Amino acid sequence: MPDPHISSPRGPSALRVFTYLFFFGALCFALLAKWMGDVFFLRLATEALIFGGLALSVDLLLGRVGLLPLGQALFFGLGAYVSALVLKEWSASFWLSMGITLCVCAIAGLIGGVIAIRAKGVYFALISFGLAQVISKIVFNTRELGASDGIIGVPAVAVVPGVDSGDPLGFFLVTLVIILGLYVGLRYLMETPMGRQLSAIRVNEHRVPFLGFDPWRFKLMAFVGAACIAGVSGALYPMLRGFVSPELMFFQVSGNAVINVIVGGTGTLIGPLYGSVLLTGLRSVVGSFTAHHQIVIGLLFVMVVILFPRGLVGYLAPLLQNRLNLPTRNRGEL
Amino acid sequence: MNQVLEWLQFVLAPQMINGLSIGVAVVLMALGLTIIFGLLDVINMAHGEFYAIGAYVAVAILGLGLSFWWALLLTPVLMAALGYVTERGLIQRVFHSKDRHTLTLLLTFGVAVVLEDVLKIIFGANPLRIESPIPGGTEMLGLFFPNYRLFVMGMGGLVIVAVWLLVFRTSLGAMVRAAAFDRYMSASLGVPVSRVYAGTFAFGVALAGVAGVLLAPIYSVFPTMGRDFVLIAFSVVIIGGMGSIKGAVLAGLLLTQIQSISSLFISPVWNDPLLFGIMVLVLMWRPQGLFGKLGHA
Repeated sequence: MPDPHISSPRGPSALRVFTYLFFFGALCFALLAKWMGDVFFLRLATEALIFGGLALSVDLLLGRVGLLPLGQALFFGLGAYVSALVLKEWSASFWLSMGITLCVCAIAGLIGGVIAIRAKGVYFALISFGLAQVISKIVFNTRELGASDGIIGVPAVAVVPGVDSGDPLGFFLVTLVIILGLYVGLRYLMETPMGRQLSAIRVNEHRVPFLGFDPWRFKLMAFVGAACIAGVSGALYPMLRGFVSPELMFFQVSGNAVINVIVGGTGTLIGPLYGSVLLTGLRSVVGSFTAHHQIVIGLLFVMVVILFPRGLVGYLAPLLQNRLNLPTRNRGEL
Repeated sequence: MNQVLEWLQFVLAPQMINGLSIGVAVVLMALGLTIIFGLLDVINMAHGEFYAIGAYVAVAILGLGLSFWWALLLTPVLMAALGYVTERGLIQRVFHSKDRHTLTLLLTFGVAVVLEDVLKIIFGANPLRIESPIPGGTEMLGLFFPNYRLFVMGMGGLVIVAVWLLVFRTSLGAMVRAAAFDRYMSASLGVPVSRVYAGTFAFGVALAGVAGVLLAPIYSVFPTMGRDFVLIAFSVVIIGGMGSIKGAVLAGLLLTQIQSISSLFISPVWNDPLLFGIMVLVLMWRPQGLFGKLGHA
């Protein structure tokens, strides 16, 4: 994987610029949409952010630990189902459903992690793929969970007094805040000793035990963390669309998340959010012309893998960083 | 006592024979996957799509008015050409980078996404059917077997034996095994390594194509037909050991037998979880699978 530590400790960091740009851009978009009275694009952007959360969890595993998850949609779908069930059957409380989702996904992540972390490299990829495939099949065939139809008629919920998940602008902002929280939390975590451990595991797993650390524990923690991030993002989905279906767990969703990460920039954490927004937009635009939008996405993805394996942000950030470093370097020469 | 015998003869035996005909096709798929992995270290995520393309090529050849036998003959040739071009045009480009495991996996995944949509554009999303080329059945031991399934078993068995002989008994196979063991050493001994790579990938793709043609008259042909099937093939390869030919054959036959026998007792819905559970158990016991890698055993 390309080295994500492009940011220099001194001076402005290119990744930080990309981060500000993303969230500032999102706010501008929200204002613009409010002014134009738009609903469709706000809903679409909210969905892009939700899938961005899923991409973030994939990047934690792929870009930071070096594990390629091909079944991350499992936890995304799990979060969506749990939240939909809580909202519909028990209590229409945003915070309660979020809390329960978090607990369930942490437990599921622990179980899935114990199974999948044993395997290394490509084996991990295939095990996570199989895990998601099996669970999605079970959900697809369970009548109590609505089988292939999923759960429809999830009620709108009040997040904080005055902001309702049925309100496009309000819910967009809620989603933005949650994704921002996940992003900042993850960024912070990467600067802690645990984050350093994960980097060490990515670079050379065999040397980590010699430093006196157990790679398995850190990998498991990362896996559970990724499951929670994916689950929280998934929990937002039924609030936005009012339904969940087994398709949310299918390989298509996992695959799209990986595509978002690669196109956006592996290991940059902000890149996957860019990737998700770009590709969700592209899918929607191309999808309005033809039903075969996957072919466009697929070709773009193949081209990125061959020509720009670092992805959009991974490619642009070093360029920007050079530009940002220029004044300091000149000063140093003087 | 009589009842037990009757159950064995009329319930278990047919189920096992049916399982065997599917098992042979699964082994063909798994052989392609495992040979490609054993030599190139590439997880071919597009293998299921190549299987589907094999079936569609057969549909197209039948559409030209040729017989099923022509389809069976021509499909592997066309699929091998497709595989060769894919390896040379795409996989070769990321093959020499540092993290080729991940990149090649992602690349073949992208190829799979594109190919599936290409199939949808050309043939439509609706399932197509192929007439069974050998209709009717044969009575054996008081049981009735569809002729075509018997043919699939025989044909598949022949191909598997041929693959075995090719890899372990010919100089071409020796080159492949040498390149898998140490590509620099074999290159300096005059093995055209990059051509062996492309050829092996093409061979694996052709095997997937053969599996597609053979199963086309049994199942219907649709663009996502490879997706479920490839999961079985992946489990087989993981259980048998990535890159092991012996492992792919044994695990393939074993797993499909378990599947077909267990579906007598439990709902087929639980087939995949069962398969997966076995895979996880095997990995806990032997993380590298049952047998060693190609060129290493």
